[in-house]
Amino acid sequence: MSPTATTTRTAAKSAATPTYAYAGKLLRVNLSTGKCWPEAWTEKDRREYVGGIGLGARILYDEVGPKIQWDHPDNRLIMATGPLAGLPVWGTGGLTVITRGALTGGATSTQANGFFGAALKYSGYDAIVMQGQAKKLSYLYINDDVVEVRDAAHLAGKDTWETQQALEAEHSLAGHRLSVYAIGPAGENLVRFAAIHGDYGHVASKNGCGAVMGKKRLKAVCIVRGTKALAAHDTRGLIQAADDIAHDLKTDPSTSTLYNFGTLPGVVNLSKLGVLPIKNYTTNLTGDVNMKEWEAPALRGDFDHRGHQCNACGMRHCHIQIIPKGRYEGERVDEPEYEGWSGAGWTIGLTDKYSVSWLNTRIDRACVDVNEFGWVCGWVMECMEKGYLTEKQVGFRLTWGDVEGSYKLLQMISHRRGFGDILAEGVKRASEKIGGKAAECAIFTMKGASPRGHDHRGRWEEMLDTCTSSNGTMESANPTFQTEVGAPGRINPFDGEQVAKLVGMIRGRRYFEDSLGGCSFTFRTKMANLARALSAATGWDYRLEDAVRFGNRTAAILRAFNLRCGIGTEVEYPSARYGSQPVDGPAKEHDVRKQWDRMLDVWYETVNYDRKTGKPKRDLLRSLDLGWLEKDLYGKK
Amino acid sequence: MPGEAQPKASRATVEVTTWVTKHVGGDGTGTRLFDEDIRRGDTPRTLLRRFTTRFPDLDSALWSSDHSELGSHIEVLVNDEVLGVSYELDTPLVGGERITLLGQFMGG
Repeated sequence: MSPTATTTRTAAKSAATPTYAYAGKLLRVNLSTGKCWPEAWTEKDRREYVGGIGLGARILYDEVGPKIQWDHPDNRLIMATGPLAGLPVWGTGGLTVITRGALTGGATSTQANGFFGAALKYSGYDAIVMQGQAKKLSYLYINDDVVEVRDAAHLAGKDTWETQQALEAEHSLAGHRLSVYAIGPAGENLVRFAAIHGDYGHVASKNGCGAVMGKKRLKAVCIVRGTKALAAHDTRGLIQAADDIAHDLKTDPSTSTLYNFGTLPGVVNLSKLGVLPIKNYTTNLTGDVNMKEWEAPALRGDFDHRGHQCNACGMRHCHIQIIPKGRYEGERVDEPEYEGWSGAGWTIGLTDKYSVSWLNTRIDRACVDVNEFGWVCGWVMECMEKGYLTEKQVGFRLTWGDVEGSYKLLQMISHRRGFGDILAEGVKRASEKIGGKAAECAIFTMKGASPRGHDHRGRWEEMLDTCTSSNGTMESANPTFQTEVGAPGRINPFDGEQVAKLVGMIRGRRYFEDSLGGCSFTFRTKMANLARALSAATGWDYRLEDAVRFGNRTAAILRAFNLRCGIGTEVEYPSARYGSQPVDGPAKEHDVRKQWDRMLDVWYETVNYDRKTGKPKRDLLRSLDLGWLEKDLYGKK
Repeated sequence: MPGEAQPKASRATVEVTTWVTKHVGGDGTGTRLFDEDIRRGDTPRTLLRRFTTRFPDLDSALWSSDHSELGSHIEVLVNDEVLGVSYELDTPLVGGERITLLGQFMGG
């Protein structure tokens, strides 16, 4: 196919000095004009911002002012990988999407995997920074030095799998030879929780990044696996570090289940802690469901399956399934992550695993965030059961566990049809619009984001993180080898002070991970190991304390960005249902609201931010060498 | 006293779940239940200490290297509650408790 829009051949100058681990260039794309151009970034900037969210946070802060809303053409859509992408470390095909998001109206950092990051690096770029808005639906094509904004009229309305298949056919490339990240109908129709999906089963899902892409009229980014070499500074050291990480993943008691089964064990484990969200937080009891059927070996073994690993990955995590029986027998789907079993299943009262697996892939194909879909769909189901929403309003009767009805709702949302147009705004805005008793049933943070697929009323650290974070999801994530940063190995999860201190102490790890260009699951190792891999790859002397500092720097930049957007401390709390006391199950005695204010006090003290204004304190900014940010936040003094 | 209801048998159930079952002869899935005697003065700590002496792999997985505290990778629940809520590790057992050893996992 010949290009129908614009063509740019980027200058391919060889670097004067070796850029170990990095391609050494960013790809800039102005979708309004079709102009594409490379931009070098210096060794100093690479050391300071690393890649992924570290790089993206600085670009977002510098280039997206407070008046540039998520749907403004000048908003940036950044797809950034990092220094380990494309190198022989497990799971290093990752990218992080950074933008001003549609749900919170603030910063967004959402990570996904597959082959995109490696393909981009092999094409000579560490990140793509897109601005402007195409005149018509387009896709970005990258094949080494050929970068083109192409007409995507033939892809309009296709779901993400269809889009990838069409581009594979168009370019006569498949598998690892072509990486495609695309939006589905939801993104095209500006659904506020639209996501960006790639490589059959990987989703950058948070904060409506797919809506931003849709607003830019960008259907897909399509990268032919490039031919440019990448070099590690110390290849032997890198491979040794990678081997050590892999060994830990295989043998450490807490990560070996992840190595063998990915996130599948989450369903049974979290149900025992009262953390599995069931029927929109109306219960925490699994009832008469045979939980043996939900153990990890059964969730995998009861389907025909094969491995579907990401770049350079040796984990037994990602799989493609064939549904062996039932209504959807014979369909090829992506094995759901825990989040899928939760959002497309338990949250909406659907416990037939074959139906859950089918619906989960349909959600990825229409391309919305599976968590937000669960909260939206579960909210509608509960409201209809209680009479807060009527059949006339919704357009049909939707009951707990109705897979076909859920799919119908998904289509209504993705195409903004009927009541789906209201739901496409996300559960916070939809419930506030309906109001009354219905509003009290909705699960969200007052910032506009919503939790991952957990019942955080039994997992307070994630609720606090979700409510205080500046990236549209969580910025600390669940504790991983937290003792290496001086945090306790275990705490009482219902002691608010202990929880808040832990969340503050482990803050920043996620940002470090999401700057490296790899997978948050293969990076479930000590930060010191990741720093060692980074050192070997780049030639830097990067240590645990550098990683912690880097994470805190990134967090401070994103916090400042959000404050500038008007997102402050006044919205750092959960909705009525999200913060309610469970009516049954293991966490039923515990009411997070009674400790919330104290938790915030302790968290603010721990991260050294001002409790009232939300600003990182001056001494913190100075210790992080963020003098330029101090000037922005506090003026010149 | 004759006619008076006897106190509940001083026994507790130790429930071993998920990957932890590998340490007690299981296959790393499901649940294994053990009916254990409670002795005078027993607490979750003393009962579990006695229990794990029968399973050396579990012993090293459950406790810190000096056996003074729990390690980081197995959650202990008593009657479906994590420690620190109704029971501490040194709270006296009264009989009838279910002590669950739940393997931590990362992911999801």
